[in-house]
Amino acid sequence: MSAVQLSKRDKMLLHCAPIGDEQVDDRALRTAIHHARKTDAYELQQNFDKAATALVQAIPIPKEITEWVPTETFIAPPRATWKKYVQNPVFLATGIAAMVISVIVIFQLIDRLNRFPGETTALRLLTTASSNKSMMLDPVKTNAGALGDFFFMKHRLAHYDVPPEFEELKTLGVRVFEDEEGQRVAQIWVVEKKMQFFLFPAERDVKTGKAKEFSGWRHIEQEHWAGVVKEQGGVCFMAALRGTDRDLAPYVSNKKE
Amino acid sequence: MADEKQDLLQLYRFCFLMLADAVKAQEIFHATLREAAQLAADGEAPRDRLWLFRNARWRCLEAGEQGLQAEDTDLDQGELAEWGPSQIEKLEPEQFAIWIAAAPDPQRTALALFYLNEFSYRDLLSVTELKPPELSKLLGNGRREFQAWLDATFPVSQV
Repeated sequence: MSAVQLSKRDKMLLHCAPIGDEQVDDRALRTAIHHARKTDAYELQQNFDKAATALVQAIPIPKEITEWVPTETFIAPPRATWKKYVQNPVFLATGIAAMVISVIVIFQLIDRLNRFPGETTALRLLTTASSNKSMMLDPVKTNAGALGDFFFMKHRLAHYDVPPEFEELKTLGVRVFEDEEGQRVAQIWVVEKKMQFFLFPAERDVKTGKAKEFSGWRHIEQEHWAGVVKEQGGVCFMAALRGTDRDLAPYVSNKKE
Repeated sequence: MADEKQDLLQLYRFCFLMLADAVKAQEIFHATLREAAQLAADGEAPRDRLWLFRNARWRCLEAGEQGLQAEDTDLDQGELAEWGPSQIEKLEPEQFAIWIAAAPDPQRTALALFYLNEFSYRDLLSVTELKPPELSKLLGNGRREFQAWLDATFPVSQV
């Protein structure tokens, strides 16, 4: 006798084990058969049942019946309705999986559509904004729009212009620094809502060296800080503040893209 | 998964196993098919693919009530033996049918359906209207009782 130990449940199910594997339509029964397949007891039962089944198949069919019903006349199963398909666990599981995948794909698509060249730099500068104090900047009190000439004259930074939407705001301080990638970044601190502006070179195409352009305002958020970014003339401008998108919405004339 | 198609002649074999009487089995076979045809003609064809066997089962049990009744007693049981298949080969199908028809229901139905080798496990539970442990007990006991009967009919020395 084989040394395989079968559970009580397996033993119970094995009494119902059909002769052919194709008749097994129950997972627990299939598992029980798998466990018992190499046992002598199961082999004995299968041989016994095969012999009995062969005897049943040898039952003679009266002539009246064979004349009336030709051999191999089958009882057709009813057609499966769509409800039956829906209730089938395989279709159900596939349907749910397809739905989840679709949702993920849609989210990724939306996320991809919202991405823009220079987003990585913008997010890094948002972190800079959250950790800066106004004292770190050189005090300059003027309109933000006037600083374009200042950046060009003093730091030779061309096109570092504050967009019209923000040019009227009064400034508190200014600085120009190099970020981790050695890019020159201009930072402006304004009075209103302790907002900070950043001007930095737009991301460039590695092959052509041309600035990657994008139109309109792009929104980013990170750890309770929000920013709006716009590209113009190869330079990105970002206005950042502690808050949400809604706090910046009144300033940007274009709708969110 | 079991083949969804069922050989219609298996319905006759089922009736025969339930009654061990070819004439009665034939009558019930015809009566069952007539009712199915009548329902189909009325636009109410049975949607349940096991309908024919369910219907035939109750007809067989009804017909069986008119004759001798099987006693619900504990029969001798023997462990399945290696020589069991050889003993079975010596039987005539009618002898096996007599043995099954003599069993009390629902064991009779369970054995008849099981040895047709036509139905899946779930189909068996559905037609017999039994719970898994009940079906298991009836089939397990049925095998051992049949083995004991075989041992009595064909002693081991003759095998």
